[in-house]
Amino acid sequence: MSLQKPVMRGLLARRLRFHLPIAIAIGLTSAVSFKYMVTEPRKRAYAEYYKHYDVNKEFNAMREAGVFESVQPTGK
Amino acid sequence: MAYPLQLGLQDATSPVMEELIQFHDHTLMIALLVSTMVFYTILTSVTTKLTNKNMLDSQGIETIWTIAPALILILIAMPSLRVLYMMDEVNNPHLTVKTIGHQWYWSYEYTDYKNLEFDSYMIPTQDLIPRQFRLFDTDHRMVVPTDSPVRMLITADDVIHSTAVPTLGVKMDAIPGRLNQTTFVVSHPGVFYGQCSEICGANHSFMPITVEAIPLIHFEDWSTSMLAKI
Repeated sequence: MSLQKPVMRGLLARRLRFHLPIAIAIGLTSAVSFKYMVTEPRKRAYAEYYKHYDVNKEFNAMREAGVFESVQPTGK
Repeated sequence: MAYPLQLGLQDATSPVMEELIQFHDHTLMIALLVSTMVFYTILTSVTTKLTNKNMLDSQGIETIWTIAPALILILIAMPSLRVLYMMDEVNNPHLTVKTIGHQWYWSYEYTDYKNLEFDSYMIPTQDLIPRQFRLFDTDHRMVVPTDSPVRMLITADDVIHSTAVPTLGVKMDAIPGRLNQTTFVVSHPGVFYGQCSEICGANHSFMPITVEAIPLIHFEDWSTSMLAKI
C-alpha cells in the first residue's frame, strides 16, 4: 500500500481562506458592538438630556445650592 | 468635571465638544476593528503548527495591506476635517474675553463695553471651604453667558502657558507676544474647570481655569456689579 501524496502547495491560501473570514467577522463584530453599545447610546443620552432641558430650572437649582459666585441664592 | 479613575472624555458642555466626542467614538471604533483583527491574526500565527514557506511573490497581500489602511485613513480623515473646519467657523461672537497667562495665575479682561479686569488665583488647599474642589477652584471665576458664542483671545505675560477647559473642548496656547483666538458656546449653566496645559514653572499645576456659565440676564447683572466694585 502506498502513502497518499501530501499536499505541499496552496497552504497559505488555504489558511487564509479559513482564518481571514473569521478575522474579518471578529473585527466587524467588535466594531458594530462598540457602535451599538457605546456610540449610539451616548448620542441618545445627549439628545434625551437636551430634549427636556429647562435652562431656568437647572440654573435656579444650582443658584440655590450656592454653586455660583457671580449670582447669590435668592434671599441673600 | 474630572473624577478619579476616569477613562473617557469629560461630558460635553459645548456643541463642538459633542462633535469631538462623536468623532473620538468613530475613530476608536475603527481602531478597535483593526486591533481585534490584528490580534486574532497574531494569535493564529503564534499558535499554528504550519511553517509557511510561501513568503515569495506576495504581491497579493502587499496590495491588500496597502490599500486597506489607505481606505481606513480616509474613513478617519473625513469626519476629522469636518470637525476641524466646524471649529474654525466664523460665528459672530456676542462677547470677547481676553485671557492672559502669568506665572502663576490667569487674568481676564472684558473690554467690549467698559474695562473690567481681574486676576484669578487658585484657592490654596488650606483655604478651601467645603464645597470647593482642591487644585481647581479659583478666587475669581471667568463668567460667561450661556448659549452665546464667546470669543477668547489668549496670550501670556512671561512664559508659555495654555488654557484648557476639557468639557468645552477648549485648549489654546498662551504665548507671549502672540494673540491666539478660540471661540466656544456653553450649552448649559454650571461651573467648569480646567488646568494650565503647558509647563510654565514651579506652580504650573496650581493655576487652574474656572469658567462659570450663567444665563445672559444674570451675566449682565454680574458685570455691572463687578464694574461697581472697581
